[in-house]
Amino acid sequence: MSFSIVTARLLESFAINGKIFIVTLALGLPLGLIIAFGSMSRWTPFGCLRKGRLKCGEGDNFWDKLTIWLSEFRPISALTKTFVWIIRGTPLMLQVIIVFYGPGLIWGMEAVGRIEAAIVAFVINYACYFSEIYRGGIESISVGQKEAGQVLGMTKVQIFFKVTLLQVIKRIVPPMGNEVITLVKDTSLANFIANKEILMMAKEYVTKGLIWPLFYSAVFFLITCGILTILLAKLEKKLSYFN
Amino acid sequence: MSVLEVKNLKKSFDKLEVLKDIDFSLNKGETIAIIGSSGSGKTTLLRCLNFLEKPDGGKILINGDVIFDADDPNTQKEREIREKRLHFGLVFQSFNLFPQYTVLKNVTLASELIAKRKKGYRSNKKQILKQIDSQARESLGQMGLSDKLNYYPHQLSGGQQQRVAIARALAMSPDVLCFDEPTSALDPELTGEVLRVIRALAEKRTTMVIVTHEMAFARDVADRVIFMDCGVIVEQGSPREVLENPREERTKQFLARFSEE
Repeated sequence: MSFSIVTARLLESFAINGKIFIVTLALGLPLGLIIAFGSMSRWTPFGCLRKGRLKCGEGDNFWDKLTIWLSEFRPISALTKTFVWIIRGTPLMLQVIIVFYGPGLIWGMEAVGRIEAAIVAFVINYACYFSEIYRGGIESISVGQKEAGQVLGMTKVQIFFKVTLLQVIKRIVPPMGNEVITLVKDTSLANFIANKEILMMAKEYVTKGLIWPLFYSAVFFLITCGILTILLAKLEKKLSYFN
Repeated sequence: MSVLEVKNLKKSFDKLEVLKDIDFSLNKGETIAIIGSSGSGKTTLLRCLNFLEKPDGGKILINGDVIFDADDPNTQKEREIREKRLHFGLVFQSFNLFPQYTVLKNVTLASELIAKRKKGYRSNKKQILKQIDSQARESLGQMGLSDKLNYYPHQLSGGQQQRVAIARALAMSPDVLCFDEPTSALDPELTGEVLRVIRALAEKRTTMVIVTHEMAFARDVADRVIFMDCGVIVEQGSPREVLENPREERTKQFLARFSEE
């Protein structure tokens, strides 16, 4: 088997990794922001229970305590945090398998495409990790920035997009970069539901007695990560014009 | 008539009563200095005026109109508050400039966003933006910053940053300009330049409320001094009355502590 043929075949299968990578970022980055807003939600639908009746630390009996707990309960935040816990607390490999086989096994639905299933699992999984990075970034911006916008008559949405967002982006580039680099290599987990990505292809050569393509496949990952590292550094530099 | 009237203003954080029945008024062109030790409620009072805190009781009137009434939820809708707070400007202790924008953009940003929400923006876009730009340049000029328009905040000294913040607040043409310890975050050698521009504003009869620890400055610039302690106004009057011949024991103690330092 010649070097050029192996290179062509590996590159061809690496396109699947590339596809998963790009779609996961394109959908996962905005979804992560939405999840971040969910977990930061301060909506207390039962807050009115306490109005003017009980103050912090008051209430000795069970009902008062329950009322206080209920009035402080933030359902959106609680739900989102539970979801993030489940997704981050279980292996991505398992999630890929569940998305692919789950609908068929549980509801008898027709199987989704292999690559689509992988992408769905990746988007959800990575969005959860992204959401925590966003949350950390948003919460790190001093409250003074928001207040400065408020006293100048800006709306909440304007404050977020015109004041906060760019500062958040600047701060989260390094941790996001970490996730992005990890994602490049995680795309190989798609082969657990028989997506013919690059490692699967390389392993096929191994079964045919050809071992070097397996080591050679590492070069594809290295080059991709190298390019991404350079791009991320450029982005960081571009945002270095302010503090 | 008074530009600003504050009536029976109350504010608690959980069980801690920070403001108890604050009453005062402010005439057009008048400068009030609020003095008092930390924790006396000075800053909370300013934050209530700017709707950064919601008072638990009392009223705020601007030019005779009730703009906030703790008993009337209609005066507390977010949308209306956003417009009403433009009666006030606030200069923060820690400047709070937007780091990603130039000095000029810091001053024009809010005006541009407000203009965009108004009717007829599209048809007169160029003219409106030009007017906002020239207004910003003018107020930055007043602050002596005409040569810093394209600098970013981190390239400026603290004193310059605070002057940008003052220009930013002035650009919204508030009825009352509030200062929350404007020089407390500055090195001593930089406080002078900020106090100078505030003094110039006072001479031009800008209506101002200044929370400050600079007693000499309060004496020179303010038309009236309010001394606050434990959430109440203990004493108010001309700087001479309050700072030199205080009637109340608490004021005397506070001033004595200050002159010791």
